Amino acid sequence: MNRSRHRDWNRVDAASLARWIVLTAFLALAGLSYVYLTLQLYHLGDRKKALENELATLRTQNDVASVQIAALTSRSALQRRLKEGYLKMIPISEHNIVRLTMPASNGEDAIQPVVNNQPADR
Amino acid sequence: MKWNSRIRCALVCFAFTALFSGFSFRLIYLHMIKHDEYAGLAAEKHVYKQIIYAERGAIFDANNEVLAHNVPVETVVADASHLNNLDAIVDLVGDELKIPARELAAKLRGDRRYIVIKREVPEALAVALREKLRVRNLRGVYFEHDATRIYPNGSMLCHVIGFTDFDHRGIQGVEASMEEYLHGQDGYRYIEHNRAGQEIVLYRGQERAPRNGYQVHLTVDLNLQNIVENEIDSAMREYAPQKATIILMRPQTGEILAMANRPNFDLNLRADAKPEQMKNRAIIDMMEPGSTFKIVTAAAALNEHKVGPDSMIFCENGVWNFGGSALHDHRPFGELSVQDILVKSSNIGAAKLACSVGEQKFYEYIRRFGFGERTGIELPGEISGLIRPPQSWSKISITRIPMGHEIGVTPLQMAVAMAAIANGGKLITPRMVKSISSDDGKTLSSISPVVLRQAISPQTARQIGDALRGVVSDRGTAAAAAVAGFTIAGKTGTAQKVDPKGGYEKGKYVVSFIGYLPADHPEFVGLVVLDDAHTHKPELNYGGLVAGPIFSRIAEQAARYLDLQPREEIRKALPVERVALTNVPPR
Repeated sequence: MNRSRHRDWNRVDAASLARWIVLTAFLALAGLSYVYLTLQLYHLGDRKKALENELATLRTQNDVASVQIAALTSRSALQRRLKEGYLKMIPISEHNIVRLTMPASNGEDAIQPVVNNQPADR
Repeated sequence: MKWNSRIRCALVCFAFTALFSGFSFRLIYLHMIKHDEYAGLAAEKHVYKQIIYAERGAIFDANNEVLAHNVPVETVVADASHLNNLDAIVDLVGDELKIPARELAAKLRGDRRYIVIKREVPEALAVALREKLRVRNLRGVYFEHDATRIYPNGSMLCHVIGFTDFDHRGIQGVEASMEEYLHGQDGYRYIEHNRAGQEIVLYRGQERAPRNGYQVHLTVDLNLQNIVENEIDSAMREYAPQKATIILMRPQTGEILAMANRPNFDLNLRADAKPEQMKNRAIIDMMEPGSTFKIVTAAAALNEHKVGPDSMIFCENGVWNFGGSALHDHRPFGELSVQDILVKSSNIGAAKLACSVGEQKFYEYIRRFGFGERTGIELPGEISGLIRPPQSWSKISITRIPMGHEIGVTPLQMAVAMAAIANGGKLITPRMVKSISSDDGKTLSSISPVVLRQAISPQTARQIGDALRGVVSDRGTAAAAAVAGFTIAGKTGTAQKVDPKGGYEKGKYVVSFIGYLPADHPEFVGLVVLDDAHTHKPELNYGGLVAGPIFSRIAEQAARYLDLQPREEIRKALPVERVALTNVPPR
């Protein structure tokens, strides 16, 4: 009885089973990795899109700020502010003007120059 | 029985084989033969070509001051099939965008699916509205990125800069003439959407980055432009002319330093401007130049060696009958030298100079100075003026054209002709564009001066220049155009206005002054033209008395700005009334 029972048992080939287990585990791992990495790619895509949007928003804000700066510093705006008294212009005093080129001649009875041609006192 | 079962088996196998072969063939048909067609249909559903808009290039002055650039705005649109709560959307969007609720509701309830709610919505407002829609979970309203053109200086230099249309295409001024460079090249990207309409970044397809428009740098110096604009405004207040034009130009290079016209308009409010305000009169208005044209006549006679600068011409004591018609001078002159013909602005003297040259040769000189052809400035709509060939001249044309009648020229042509005198006889193409650079500031092209031709010899140019110094003196017609500390060469012009119905309009004049400073080494040529100026005394409506002082004020400020060294004795300028009494200028 025992003998015949022994004969009916399915003999497990441990090496083969181990191979299959490893192969299946490897395939399962590869599949899961594939899914994980694909999801990561989607996630990174979304992140990339979000960053692109953020960048576009920042660029837009920068453009808007540039426009405001240009508008506030434009000649018309400055003149308007000057007229309204928000700005004041002070003439440059003569001793603060430095001429890089000397006048050709400047005799005693010479003509009074409109601009200062004297070298600055330093 | 055994045979039957085999047959049945074979039949079943055959049926399965046939069935799966059918499936296989169908699959092959769908995947290979019809692949492109179905792939296209699928792509239509999910793949979308997203346009990445290029930014229009900015315009700068010679000192890199911004004249035109873009401000980001949003276009608010709605997809009627996506609107989930119409009443709430109408309330919120109408309130935020200041659109009457009834009007907005009618728009959204219309037949169209794609609805433009409002264009050019400021970025900040769009961001706030987007957030409110998100918080209230209202769907169907979308924002499309756009840009609008902004001109920080408003009306200053409006005719030169021009403006763009609805599609951001230049339709006037530099915006139009440099459209090719200012308009960038849009990019694109193929993207796929998911069912919620969101982009699947992973499946991004072919992509091309946009190329932003190039930046255009003008030759105009906004500091000089400001001087000119202030003076033209004060001239408009003082003389209330119908039209006015002032041009400043560098004679050696042809660079336009300033150009202003009146009437004008605000570039940011261009929708309100009338067509009359939009005309750049410096290049599209034709006028009879009057006595300023005598420089061409004298140049022709001197260059042909028919006369010398000191040759004496008998000016018939004020009246010369020629071709059955009498030609008058504003004052009787006897013998005048060629120089004095310009200084005193004798019509008869100029007519005799032209006669000595001859019709054909005189016509040649007119063309040599660039009249009758476009100057080639980078501005759209320039006209060539009207110069008739000698074959169609009347008997008296040879006596009328030398004094600037019977011809039509643009103010810019006149400035270019004077620049040729100031530049040793070289006729230069006027330029408005200095350089073109990429949006990262790299210069792509610098435009060099173009000498069209040697219109007259340098010696003739010098002789004319010497004579023109006399014009801006106590014995000339433009003493009021003098600038303290500098020698100026110039010429006045006072031409009766042409009546469109024929003949001339009585009591209406186009007064002008054109000159350069300093006379020895000209830094700029200036032209002032006032059409139908109103003086408090009609006898003061002359080029030397109206346009001359305006030129003087501009030249003085410009000389100070350009840091020109005064070389002459500073004298107090004569008041206009005294100039008028001591020296009656010509018509």
